[in-house]
Amino acid sequence: MEMMIYALASVKKNPEKLNMLLSRMKGISGAGIYAVNFNEISAVVSDINRADLIADRSNALEYAEVIETLAQQFTLLPMRFGSLMESTEAIIKMLERNYNEIQHNLQKVESKWEFGLKIFCDPEKLKAELMAKSEADIKTSAKPTPETRNSVYRDYVNNKLKEHRLEELILTYVDSVIAELTGHLARLNAVNKFKKMATASTIIDAVFLLDKDKKGELIQAVEALQKHYAGLNFVLTGPWPPYNFVEITIK
Amino acid sequence: MHDNVIDQSKDITILELLDRVLNKGVILTGDIVISVADIDLVYLGVKLMLSSVETMEQIRSGKPIIKPILGK
Repeated sequence: MEMMIYALASVKKNPEKLNMLLSRMKGISGAGIYAVNFNEISAVVSDINRADLIADRSNALEYAEVIETLAQQFTLLPMRFGSLMESTEAIIKMLERNYNEIQHNLQKVESKWEFGLKIFCDPEKLKAELMAKSEADIKTSAKPTPETRNSVYRDYVNNKLKEHRLEELILTYVDSVIAELTGHLARLNAVNKFKKMATASTIIDAVFLLDKDKKGELIQAVEALQKHYAGLNFVLTGPWPPYNFVEITIK
Repeated sequence: MHDNVIDQSKDITILELLDRVLNKGVILTGDIVISVADIDLVYLGVKLMLSSVETMEQIRSGKPIIKPILGK
């Protein structure tokens, strides 16, 4: 039997509040959940057989539910699914070894939620619209030079130029959406991470960390952007525990 | 159409959740358990994702009505 760690929670001077909450909760496969404490940090754990720990959808959802319930009342760092240690003593030593780094990260996410924003497009439609807007430029750049006017390479070169131009147009467009989005986020003091062109359809895949009381303002900002960019589809998810903003590896 | 939007948004939310639980969070060196069930999970995930994107593209042919979806 080993112990799986769900999250590292800041209990400050009130570990009993956490114990009361945990006494009403169940972990993966209905296992009881309890806290292993070191100073003001608690590791939230349940006992589990390594052989029973399967990363399937059901277990992942149960795992997430534990973390989400805890996050409603405590500042925490979610652990990646499947984090096992062999004993209470080993967990206490781990907390002691990494105490300062864990505390530092807990402070960074205190009173904050994470949100995710995916912005989707219809790639072909977007390309067509951007090409139409810059048609004059493309014609100019595609004009054959005397050397290539009758060349067998002419069509190939022109197609390559067109593709390159199109990539530039799309990236410029995505950058303009990001610029507008970051303008809104800056006013909310949000920490954000962007991934551009995650797929041909997903032009922006972003996560934000912002104060819990700014949720309404974020929704308004995204709604305003959706109206402005009517051809794109915005999907905002959250509030999440800060999964994407705990960039630490502990030993 | 509204039901479709809600359905695909739920799919995306579940995918977002699974991505966070399995791929994000504090890493404990040396003790992460990776089970064979990951294969099925990835397959389901890709299938769901493709389905979600297709649904979105269908929706997009009409008036865009995707709006922020909050909560599980």
